[in-house]
Amino acid sequence: MDLLTSLRISASGLAAQRKRMESVSSNIANAQTTRTAEGGPYRKKEVVFGSEPARDSFAEILEGELDEKAQTVHVTEVVNSDKPPILKYEPSHPDANKDGYVAYPDINVMQEMADMIEAQRAYEANVSAVNTTKSMALKTLEIGKN
Amino acid sequence: MIKNISQLDQTLGTGDARGWAKKVGNELADQMSHLETPGVERTGETSKTFGDFLQDSIGKVNALQNDADVSMQKLASGESRDLHETLLAVEKAEIAFKAMNQVRSKVIDAYKEIMRMQI
Amino acid sequence: MDVNDKTFRALATSLKFREMRQELMTGNVANAQTPGYKSVKLDFEEALARATDVDGNLSMNASDERHFNVGGGGFNNLEPEVYEDPNGIVSENGNTVDVEAEMARMAENKIMYDTTVQLINKKLGLMKYALNSEK
Repeated sequence: MDLLTSLRISASGLAAQRKRMESVSSNIANAQTTRTAEGGPYRKKEVVFGSEPARDSFAEILEGELDEKAQTVHVTEVVNSDKPPILKYEPSHPDANKDGYVAYPDINVMQEMADMIEAQRAYEANVSAVNTTKSMALKTLEIGKN
Repeated sequence: MIKNISQLDQTLGTGDARGWAKKVGNELADQMSHLETPGVERTGETSKTFGDFLQDSIGKVNALQNDADVSMQKLASGESRDLHETLLAVEKAEIAFKAMNQVRSKVIDAYKEIMRMQI
Repeated sequence: MDVNDKTFRALATSLKFREMRQELMTGNVANAQTPGYKSVKLDFEEALARATDVDGNLSMNASDERHFNVGGGGFNNLEPEVYEDPNGIVSENGNTVDVEAEMARMAENKIMYDTTVQLINKKLGLMKYALNSEK
């Protein structure tokens, strides 16, 4: 049923935005992390969104009328940013290199906050979509009820 | 009119019964023409019967239903964007239909009542 | 009035298309940040208006239901128009979704959906009333 597919699509949006929030939180928390298990400073995480048709099986596409126009979203990958780290001169820092520079992640906390707000907005939009879909489905059940 | 008994005796006595009847008839017609109020036009119109009234009402109810249907079709196809107009038209049609239904019930009840009457 | 009359079928068909529209809109909202994703729209009003043919101007009368409808088309094979929104504002990653506009359209679709269900219920209610009063 079309409305159930709608719920699945919105659910994918919620999941994607949640993943995005995860990376943003991680970035904010680690904005000053100079030491990681893999060596070197923390690298900023970025999510890449990709869309794919909501109806995965060919049979569904054949019987449905929307072809592949209705798309779910998913996080295709979480990349570690390859931006070069920022070097600050702090010779007394335990992670300073031989020249006295410490490598900090190139994370702009203000930018991350903006991303966070955007992720929240997008999450709420998907929640609103879920509520609308649910309400339409419930309304359909009211046909003939009087 | 026969003015007195003596005249009657006279007429009947001569055996001219038909002539007497004719005379009475003419007198009657003469009298009737004096009863009519002068100045009133007599039209050929008969008053509306209850049946005509019912037919009119059914026609009106039908028209209201058609209006409601057209309004709903226009709303569904986006031709009209007036929600309130459509809903009002539907309500009007529903009320008219239910009212007519009540009238029908009453008419049927009255009919049954009459049929039950002992002559 | 019968359950297959034009009004019922117009109302029921509009419900189906509004459901499909909702599905596309949830897809747009979910992909509001996907790079390269183009916002999609669904139009059914024109096709439905042609099939409903309120003024009777658009079709020739078919004397039998099996005869082909010229112009009118009937309600059975209605196809909605699904297309990428040509007016979408392209953001820097190629995405054309306007989330606020989608939410507004979603609200309107929902209101019309609810109204349509209400109208269907009114017609059904009237029919049931008429049936019940046949005593």
